[in-house]
Amino acid sequence: MPNLTRLRAELPNIGWALVLVAAMTAVMLIVNQYVQPTNRSSIYLIPVLAAAARWGVIPAVAAAVASILASVFFFYEPVYSFKVPQTPQLVNLALFIVIALVTGRLTAVLREQADRARRRENEVRDLYAFSRRLGLARADEDIYAAIQEHLSSLIQRRSVLFESDSASPVDTGRPEERLVPEAVHSEVTKHLEGEATSDTGTIVKDNSNNVWLVRHVAPNTKEFGVIAIDLGDAASRELADVRGRVDGVMADAAATLDRMDVARVIDEARMRAETEVLREALIGSVSHELRTPLASILGSATVLCNAAPVTGDERLAALANVIRDEAERLNSDIQNLLDATRISSQSVKPLRQWYDLADLVNSALVRRDWRLADHVVAMDVANDLPLIYVDPVLMEQALVQIIDNAAKYSPAGSKILVTARREGNEIVLAVTDQGTGFTEEEREHLGERFFRGARHLSNTPGSGLGLWIAKAFVNACDGQVSATSRGAHRGATVSIHLPVADEAILQLERAADD
Amino acid sequence: MTSDSPVVLVVDDEIQIRRFLRAGFELDGFTVEEAENGNNAIRKATLSPPDLIIVDLGLPDMDGSEIVQRLRAWSGVPLIVLSVRSNEAEKVRLLQAGADDYVVKPFGMAELLARAHAALRRRVTTSAGEPIIKSGRLTIDFGARLVTIDGERVPLTPKEYRLLQVLAQHAGNVVTHQHLLKEVWGTPHVDDVHYLRIVVRKLRQKIEADATKPQILLTELGIGYRLATGAPETAGAAKQAADS
Repeated sequence: MPNLTRLRAELPNIGWALVLVAAMTAVMLIVNQYVQPTNRSSIYLIPVLAAAARWGVIPAVAAAVASILASVFFFYEPVYSFKVPQTPQLVNLALFIVIALVTGRLTAVLREQADRARRRENEVRDLYAFSRRLGLARADEDIYAAIQEHLSSLIQRRSVLFESDSASPVDTGRPEERLVPEAVHSEVTKHLEGEATSDTGTIVKDNSNNVWLVRHVAPNTKEFGVIAIDLGDAASRELADVRGRVDGVMADAAATLDRMDVARVIDEARMRAETEVLREALIGSVSHELRTPLASILGSATVLCNAAPVTGDERLAALANVIRDEAERLNSDIQNLLDATRISSQSVKPLRQWYDLADLVNSALVRRDWRLADHVVAMDVANDLPLIYVDPVLMEQALVQIIDNAAKYSPAGSKILVTARREGNEIVLAVTDQGTGFTEEEREHLGERFFRGARHLSNTPGSGLGLWIAKAFVNACDGQVSATSRGAHRGATVSIHLPVADEAILQLERAADD
Repeated sequence: MTSDSPVVLVVDDEIQIRRFLRAGFELDGFTVEEAENGNNAIRKATLSPPDLIIVDLGLPDMDGSEIVQRLRAWSGVPLIVLSVRSNEAEKVRLLQAGADDYVVKPFGMAELLARAHAALRRRVTTSAGEPIIKSGRLTIDFGARLVTIDGERVPLTPKEYRLLQVLAQHAGNVVTHQHLLKEVWGTPHVDDVHYLRIVVRKLRQKIEADATKPQILLTELGIGYRLATGAPETAGAAKQAADS
């Protein structure tokens, strides 16, 4: 009964067309009091044309018939009666209907063309956005999230995508949309495990009488995952239509995904992720395994260093000190490895607190006193600096790295100066040494992971991680690291720049002292 | 070992760690008891209460905070935990659960001994209600509410004095930010760490020779503050003081 359905859908529009005619009649009746237009019935062309343009043929025909009836009733003798329609009115009626049909048809064609153009434009825009997201996606979850969004904008119904290697829905950051009924979930699992009976999908009914379609996104490429689409009320007459449309859309989408080589992109992302996880796990466990014996070595060495039989013999004391210092060095290398792992797995999450910069400097200097023993360390921290809002552990570690570098690349007995002062809206913490410095070319690479100046490779041990870690940690606290040198063997200054939060500080000072 | 030497119970599952701790403590005049897991530690501590307990947090049979809580349930024995780095929140939790101090692994023996002496002394201070605490040039006379530097009176605001008082009660051991804030400003302000920073800075300007290089009021990054105590004494002296 498609025609009846269509007619029912037109009812509101027909109603509006009749309202238009009624309004026109009312206007004419008022105008009639003052002037007598000669060809009154032609004025009814206005509602007929308007209805045709706005709502199409059927409401326009309804408007035409209503117009003729109204004009016969109100404006032709005998007034207020439908009696004796004369030839002119019949001609008018025929004319109106022809106009209604022609205009309505023209409008329909035009509207259809406009609709198609708009849809096409949307599709192109969607596809463009989709391919951009694919290009940017690094992990497979990102790719699935992109597919999910692409499909739901195409299907225009609620749909939930499941990754091919897990039975949990793709995370799009909106968890409430990810819930599917139990029956649907078990059907999805069947599809993922390859136990599903049909390639073109299975229909599942949930408790609230809604019908879901569960199917592979693409029957030939299982990597795209399984999608569950809410088709709507089971009793709906349109169900078959919707199912047909969804199948069509999915076929197109699958072809698009194939053409864009999405399967390979997913594969590569998974491989990358697995390699990354493996590497991080390896570094993590190696560092842990190294640390346990190191704690015993360092502890034992410190006992030896202070034991009377050893302190009484200069040669033994020197040996015990070597063990202690080298264990310290190993410990800080392991700490660097762990920090590097944290940075590359992006698990650095600053816990920020108000801090006094001098505390950070002192703490870093104390932690590195074994390394600074051969240097002259001077500290000049202005005592009216505002508090800074940073993660103290990250900032201390960053500073330790910079101090380490200063000690490592400057000769024993030389001076290391640590200064902190305010410069405009910044607090600048600078570590200056009298060491090997760096050339302009080396400066460009400073702070790159694993970068070490060629001059130092053979004579100074190091991993090239220090400044990279310092930069990452300072950046995590909204700061910047900069480095200057007047050239090779003319010393270097490495600075940490932190923003000042002035207003906040002044308020705090008042509140603390009540 | 004389009967005067204080007894330390070392709890760690790594035999190498126990070995050097034994040597380090014995050389310093302690008597050392060992336990390799939490249950053993609690049993030993119950049967013959030690003067000090050093406990590692990575025990096979018991979580670090559990052992601290179970010991604290019946004993006020000084307790120092050995923790791994990079977990500030865990350290704070343990200190709040009742640990007196912590040392980060790997550590040097001198550092642990300093903490141990401070923890032992705290017991002396609290039990004897010692009215005078010294830290370098600084003297705090609780009875007279008097703070002096090299014998010269230092005028302090009530908040500054209260802060110094709380730190002095734990002299040599770390006191968490939360504890200080609660004691000085009250419970509603336990998260206002900036109050603490500002008053500490003012206090340092009054009691330190150079406020940017503090020698008395020391910072424990991410944890709290520590009032430095003078040169470490021997364990025997501390024990004698405790027994007298």
